[in-house]
Amino acid sequence: MKKCTHIDSFLSKYNQSSSENFEQNQAKKKNHLEKIISILLDLNHFGKALVLEKEDASPTNLKYLKCEQVNNSELFCSDDTSRLHLCAYCFYIGCFSLTNRCHIEQHSLKTGHNITLDAVYAAFYCFECRDFQYNSEIDALLCDSFNKASYLPHGKFSEWEPCQKTLKILKKYHQLNPNFENSIPVIKSFKIKSSSIIGLRGLINLGNTCFMNCILQTLTHIPSLRDYFLGDQHLCSFSNKNNDKNICLVCEIVSLFQEFYSGKKSPYIPFRLLHQVWTQVKHLAGYEQQDAHEFFIAALNAIHKNFVENDINCKSLNMDKKKFINYNNCHCIIDKIFTGGLQSDVICSNCNNISTTVDPFWDISLDIFKSSGKAGRNSLSQVFGETTRLEDCLQKFTFPEILTSFNCSNCKSSRGAKKQFTMKKLPVVCCFHLKRFEQTNRVHKKISDHISFPEVLDMSPFMSNKSTNPNYTPQINKDLGGFDNFNFSNRRLQTNKYFLFAVVNHHGTLESGHYTSFIRLRNDQWFKCSDHIISKASINEVLNSEG
Amino acid sequence: MSREQNNTIRNSINAKLIETGERERLREALQLKLVECGWTKEVTAHCQEIVKKRGFENISIDELVAELVPKSRALVPNQVKKELLESIRLFLAKQNNL
Repeated sequence: MKKCTHIDSFLSKYNQSSSENFEQNQAKKKNHLEKIISILLDLNHFGKALVLEKEDASPTNLKYLKCEQVNNSELFCSDDTSRLHLCAYCFYIGCFSLTNRCHIEQHSLKTGHNITLDAVYAAFYCFECRDFQYNSEIDALLCDSFNKASYLPHGKFSEWEPCQKTLKILKKYHQLNPNFENSIPVIKSFKIKSSSIIGLRGLINLGNTCFMNCILQTLTHIPSLRDYFLGDQHLCSFSNKNNDKNICLVCEIVSLFQEFYSGKKSPYIPFRLLHQVWTQVKHLAGYEQQDAHEFFIAALNAIHKNFVENDINCKSLNMDKKKFINYNNCHCIIDKIFTGGLQSDVICSNCNNISTTVDPFWDISLDIFKSSGKAGRNSLSQVFGETTRLEDCLQKFTFPEILTSFNCSNCKSSRGAKKQFTMKKLPVVCCFHLKRFEQTNRVHKKISDHISFPEVLDMSPFMSNKSTNPNYTPQINKDLGGFDNFNFSNRRLQTNKYFLFAVVNHHGTLESGHYTSFIRLRNDQWFKCSDHIISKASINEVLNSEG
Repeated sequence: MSREQNNTIRNSINAKLIETGERERLREALQLKLVECGWTKEVTAHCQEIVKKRGFENISIDELVAELVPKSRALVPNQVKKELLESIRLFLAKQNNL
């Protein structure tokens, strides 16, 4: 790259000290550059892409942005219409191509604006030198802005990294002699190694509370939830005015997280949390064995309710949007993380009228079906080996099924219809619940078949915008809830892939059993949590567990 | 088939792809596939080699592209090419039936 003088003249355009004073000029220049940056940030959330994984930057958010001349019949947009450039002088947006005539070049010839920016990578192009340029001043400003942008609070979380100032202060205190008589307290700082197991802590069983313990274990290891609570994002407005036994459940959860990540090794006794749950969710009270899945849903409900009532941020955000606070429109962290949308399409077989509804969900309950003995009836079972897989259960869940008693609102016939479930919106954390407790003819049974599940799950085949084969599948009796739960965490929001991070298993029978859970830590280490006993586990152990 | 006929067919297929939005979808799918099979990483590595060899000051984007394009084209795995061709074929078949 030969040195480009045109960028310098572009910058110096805002440096003329003839008419205005220097500071005003600097501000003007900064303003103009910041305007450019804010346009780029608005266009696509590529601040992260720029800083982290450049090769994965996919300009999908540029879809709604087109070259300004896209309807100009004189000159068609060059083939690769997704390469857009932003004019650095007047913010004109045009398609760009190195080989063909392109609109941004046309604009540059017409107006003499020779500096433009690539809309995805923020690279400067100079039409005089016919090459991409690099300017360290602008580059520093861009990197700085994009770094800051990734910390924006509009529902986006990123882990807190100390900035230079904070690091300096921490280092200063660390070096202070602890014996020095000083009014400034010495701050003990911990350095967390990559192999650390911080966050792991046992939970004492308070009398058949293993169902609660295993769910709490999984909740404390959800990264986004953890970052939210440990980052002090909950501002509580709860006041004990009525002097009743209630305390804010969310505050209890925050204490739970704080206890878990305090580095203490002794098992924790969550008695206050348990008491709160009993007070607020009456049907779970008591010392009998409970269903962990029920507790999970009840806990999410309770936390959500407490959020809506007590959290200041949540209340103000909800009021801002003036939306009805049901749990798919709420702005609390629970909804942001767990809520997904399940689309249900009903197609009348008479008039082909499709009625669609989207329901929010916090987890997906899947039936377990036995793969053997049905060979030849449908193509699914021929593919199976011995064990059913989670993907197969999901496939079954999203297969179209025939409804016989159906009254169409459009054509008023009752010929029957086809119903299909698909995923409209995927949650950040996806929980699967396998219905293992079967109730047929008044007999309760537990299905202990091993269901294999993968470490990485791709939900793309179950999404709403993909059409599935209209294969007929026989209906399975809906089984009663039993429980096995998987939590997946979706790290890269551009894809539909989920990474397994927690598995809850139930051992034993319906009458007497025990819940344990497997948890994956940040460094990809797996641990088995059985109440107060935590032991290291291998990924194979996890994958081979019952599920 | 003469070259003229070839061209007209090619243009009409292209137009159909663009107006139904299929071209964009295919582009995105192709982009994902290329990232998955490691092609993007390979090309990036080649690019860095070229720049290192020629020297940062002496290369321009046009030269870089001229050197990179034929090599990268050749590096695309056959499987990806086949899949893309198949998608286009399916699309055209669907268009015929409509």
